[in-house]
Order: sequence, then structure tokens, then C-alpha cells
Amino acid sequence: MSGPIHIQPGETFTLNVGPQHPATHGVLRVKMEMDGEYIVKAETVLGYIHRMHELMGENRTYPQVLPNLSRLDYLGALGYTHGHVLAVERAAGIEVPERAEYIRAITVELNRVASHLFWFGAFVMDLGGFTPLMYAIEDREYILDMLEAVTGSRLTYCYYRFGGLYNDIDDEFIDRARAFIPRMRKSLKKYDALVTGNIIFRKRLEGIGPISAEMCRKYGATGPVARGAGINFDVRKNEPYSVYPEFDFDVPVYDECDSLARYKVRMDEMEQSLRIIEQGLDKLPDGPIMPKKKPKLIKPPAGDYYQAVETARGSFGIRIVSDGTKNAYRFKLRSPTYSNMSLFDEACEGMMIMDALAMMGSLDLVIPEIDR
Amino acid sequence: MDQGSLQVGTQNVPSPLEPIPSSVVQFAAADKLINIGRVNSFWPLTFGIACCAIEMMATGCARFDMSRFGAEVFRPSPRQSDVMIVAGTITKKMMPGIKVLYDQMPEPKWVIALGNCAISGGPFVFDGQYSIVLGADTFLPVDIYIPGCPPRPEALLEGILQLENKVSGWNRWKDPEKA
Amino acid sequence: MIKDTVLQSLRELFPDPEPVVEEAAAESAEGDTAEDDKKKAAKKKVEPRVNGVIERDHAQYGYDIDVQLDPGELLAAVMILDKAGFFLECVTGVDWIKEEQLEAVYDFSRYDFDLCRVVVRTRTSRSEPKVPTISKIYPGAAWHERETHDFFGIKFDGHPHLVPLLLPEDADFHPLLKDFKP
Repeated sequence: MSGPIHIQPGETFTLNVGPQHPATHGVLRVKMEMDGEYIVKAETVLGYIHRMHELMGENRTYPQVLPNLSRLDYLGALGYTHGHVLAVERAAGIEVPERAEYIRAITVELNRVASHLFWFGAFVMDLGGFTPLMYAIEDREYILDMLEAVTGSRLTYCYYRFGGLYNDIDDEFIDRARAFIPRMRKSLKKYDALVTGNIIFRKRLEGIGPISAEMCRKYGATGPVARGAGINFDVRKNEPYSVYPEFDFDVPVYDECDSLARYKVRMDEMEQSLRIIEQGLDKLPDGPIMPKKKPKLIKPPAGDYYQAVETARGSFGIRIVSDGTKNAYRFKLRSPTYSNMSLFDEACEGMMIMDALAMMGSLDLVIPEIDR
Repeated sequence: MDQGSLQVGTQNVPSPLEPIPSSVVQFAAADKLINIGRVNSFWPLTFGIACCAIEMMATGCARFDMSRFGAEVFRPSPRQSDVMIVAGTITKKMMPGIKVLYDQMPEPKWVIALGNCAISGGPFVFDGQYSIVLGADTFLPVDIYIPGCPPRPEALLEGILQLENKVSGWNRWKDPEKA
Repeated sequence: MIKDTVLQSLRELFPDPEPVVEEAAAESAEGDTAEDDKKKAAKKKVEPRVNGVIERDHAQYGYDIDVQLDPGELLAAVMILDKAGFFLECVTGVDWIKEEQLEAVYDFSRYDFDLCRVVVRTRTSRSEPKVPTISKIYPGAAWHERETHDFFGIKFDGHPHLVPLLLPEDADFHPLLKDFKP
């Protein structure tokens, strides 16, 4: 060996943050042209988990597609099923009893807390801190226990039906949920003390990964990515659906546009979800969980219908184009992570790779949702 | 220790129940001990593709605790791992990557297919599916199949215990169903 | 209300409007088949819809304004929406095989509390589908248009990088066309 190799200024090499990588949270590939530690150009390559949910929506009848929606974003599966069920109910004109809507809202918010907990653990693990993952997953297991007793599954739920639910909640669920809320509030304080004030954490995230509000608008980013950029947009407040108008909760918005702002938005959202669960349990009405008159075969009138819900990652939309038959003619899923990820290529130019990966973690990616 | 003409890297190390060709010097007690050491420290490759990966991570965490069986050390690099847990749907685009990772793992190595998608395509098989591979065993030699969608963490632990038995012939505890 | 200003500016794109008929499909699906045979053929509407702007009931359909136009007017409409501060939700396609047309559907929405969802549709022929790209106005459309091209084969003129996004790089099939066989 003759001596150290000198890279000429301007000479770049290609680095593949490949499909198998602990920080990409699934099979995502980013081809980066690097100049030393700095990214000159990044290109995202998708399709490694493309399972074609949209074609399944066309080949199957409306009830047969229900289990598939959970596999789209497995961490927040109830939110997606909620969107699908609301879209078909809007198209076919099915009424939902109030008790069913309250239970749906409570379980969706529990699922949102579970999803944010998992994100929190994985995000801090990306930055190098392995311990919060253990704590976060332990808290998440309490939620999964509760939901498993009612729905039967831990991760990919198929709990909602068109018109309501298939299984009612019992007193044990209500007691467990009430006992969980103070426990979770204590845990949130613990995470604040352990992680948010940590000097290494703050230096890794403060000022890193700026995503401005105008960029969010041009790319269609929603959810905590937009709320961390100062945009006050939450589908539950802007375009209310289900029983959310009955609840009193805030939408956390931070102006700094950096990764720390997006982190703080999600931590605050967990607290707001706990408030919604508390109010939901207090206001839970009695009554049936399925409507009396429900069509035996779901055949919405011809036309196209759109429904948006707020999931843990942003605004999830379903567009159903129906031609009056029992299969959908076109079943389009608008996934929030797709729009959130599309700004990564432009946003990470000129950054160091460790900052780009911190930014990618703060976007909260679930790759099967991008590839559908 | 002269291993004779035993070629390393072309075959799995046999369990004590399999006869070894007589041209090789055989150390029966040492092999058995080495196998027991191997199964008590499986190092999985971090290769979660989809939903089953979350259950795999939950198994590694505090409640289900894979580390009491020695298997919580997930290595991101295939050069340092010996079990590949294929967790999730395999698409045709991803398949060459998985094969490369499998080839990069040093011998001895094993494969666990976790979840319905890795066993046979799972809930994504339908008329008109053009993009997934119907199971990991179409291109990999799978040792243990764990069904479920996703399988519970206890199922993954049972799969690891069965792999331990398959590799070394040794059981951690008596099977309660046998008398 | 932003909805009225946007309706006004979009209606100006159609200087010679024909009387815009509210789609008969919603009523005729429940009513009886009195019209013509086309309705029985599981089509979206009785007669081809004319270009124009329709106001929709949000509670029933999920969106407020429905615009259908020719591909040539697409950029003008999208620029009106960009100036009014809408964000791009998604771009997708629908294959109307019986009418030999492919439709590109654009969804727009707003961030503020002045809710107004706009759907812009444009139709092009199935054999030579070409639509101008909106990625110069909304960079986020780059990925959406690549995906629509993957699934339907619609070519977006002027797109900087129209290669497969979700399908493998060498794919030459379009899965969501109604006559697709794997």
C-alpha cells in the first residue's frame, strides 16, 4: 500500500442504504451519492414489499377486503380499518350506532398510543439509545393485552365491520383502560426525563432536518410532519368524522420545523389521545353495536367516494369508485407515509448522512404503507 | 486437531445422530458439546420485512425475552449471524437480496420462516398476484416453519426451541405431553 | 369562503359552459332501469359527462368540488389551486375499459379550517394515454405520476424521471388495467 487515498474535491461515491438496514424500518432502499459524509443526491427506490393491495380491493367483495387493510400499516392497523369502514359506510349509506362509534374512537386512540410508543422506541434506537425501546414496548404490551382480549389479535386487527363492530367491550376492558391511563401518564413523564432532556439527544435533533411548511404543502405531507412545521392540520378537527366533535382535545403544533419539533408533536399527541380515551370511557352510551337494518350484500351506488381519517402518520384517504356491483371498480389508498417520504430526496441534499437518518426516523416510516 | 478431509462450508455440521464418514477423525463428545453451545447462542440476522418483524422485535424485548435462550443478539451484518429469520412477505424484487444475504452468512446456518407469508405467500395470494414469491422455501432451505399472521411471540420462542432440538438433539426440558 | 372563490375561478376556465347536469347515476341506481341499455352495463353514468364544474355534497361524497376537463386545461386549473393554497393529496387513475378511456384523478385539499376538497379529472384515450405533468407546480406529484404510469400506462409529458416506482425496473406490464393477466 503506497499511502492514504485522497478523494478529489467533487468526486462522489454511491452509498446504498440498502433494503436490509436496521434504520430503514422495513425494506426501503436509498441510493445516495456521497461526498465524504455529505449527501449530494439521494434517490429512493421502492417496491420491495409491493403486494398490490389495490388489485385485491378490486378482485374481492367489500367485506373480503377488510383484513387486508390492517396489513397496510400494521402499527396503527385500527386507524386504517376505521377509514375503510367509514368510506364504505358513506358509499353505501349505512348508519352506525353511537356506542359502536365511541368504541371505535377509543380503540383507535389506544392504537395510536401504541404506534407512537413503538415509533419512540425505534427512533431513539436509531440514534443509538437502546434502552427506551425496552420501556416503550413494555408499555405497549399493556395496550396490546387490552385490545387482544376484545379483538382477538395483537397486531393486525380486523375488529370493525360495516355498520359497527362484531364484539362488544366488557367491563374488564373499561377497568383496564382506566387503570392504564395514569400508568401511561407516569411513563410519559419518565420518557421526558430520560430522553427529551438528554443533551446528546437534543444535539442530534435540534435544528436538524428542516422541513418547511411550503415544502409540506408542495409534497402533500400531513400528520406530525406537517404539525412540526407549524401547520395546524389534523383531519379530526379540520374535517371531522365519527364522534370526534364530541371530544375536547388539543392538536399540538410546533413551529421549529426540525426533527425535535416532530418528536415533540408525537409525544404530546400521546397525552391528547389519553384525554380522548378518558372522555370516551366517561361518555360511552349503552346500546347496540350493529345497526338493525343492514344490507346483506354491500353494493354502493355508482360514483366515487372519498374518506379521510387521521392516523398516527397523517391523513389516510380511501377513494372508492363503484359501479354498482359487489366489487369495487377502483380502490385507491392514499397513504400518508408515501407523501411524507417523497420529500426526503429533496430535503436531505447537503446533509450529513447521520442527520439524514435522524430525519428519516422522525418521519415515522412504515414501508408496506408506501409500497402497498 | 486434524479434521482429515472434512470440507468446511459445503455442508451443515451433522448432529450427533447422523453418521459421519469414517475417513474423518470423530470427537463425539466434543461435537455434542459444541452443538449445545451453538444452540444456546443463536444470533439472528435483523431481517424484518413486514408485520412479522414487529412480533420478532417484541419477542426480543422485555416481556417475552428471547435472551433467556441466548438469541437476543440481533446482528445487522450477515457475516456475524447464524440464523436468518425470514419475517414477512417476500417479493420478487427482494428475493435476490435475500439470497445474497443467505449466501453471505457463514456456515453453519439455519433459516426460520416466520409467518404465513414466508411459508406460502400468506393472505396476499390471489388470482392476479404478480409480485410475491410463494414462500421462502422456494429458494432457501427452511428448517422451521412458524405459522400465524402474525404468529404470537410465544410461537417464535417455540420455533427457536424446536430448532435447538433439531440442531443438537438436546431438549431444555421434558416434553410435558410425553408421559 | 374559499370554496366560492375557487368555484368562480374554475368556472372561468369553461367560457362556454353547457348546462351542467348533475350526474343521474345516483338516482338511477336506486330507481328503475327506464333509460337505456348503457346503464345496465355497470357503467358510472348514463351519458358521458361533459366537461365542467360540479358542486358536491361533502357528507355524501367526501369532496366539495368536482371538475372534469381536457388534458390541455389541466395545468391552468392546477395553477389556480396552487395560488389558492391547496395541497396535493394524490394522483391516481381509473380504467374505463368500456369507454376506451383512461381517467387521471387529482385530489386537492387545504390545511386550514376553510375546508374545501377539490377533485380534478381528465380523460385520455386508452391506446395513447398522454397527460401533461404537474410536477413543475407540485413536486410531490412526481412520485404519484410515476405510480400512475406503473399501474395504468399513462404517460406524463414533461415528467423528469418517468421510470417504474413500485414495479421492478424492467416491468412492462400495467397491473390495474382491466385486461391485465399476470
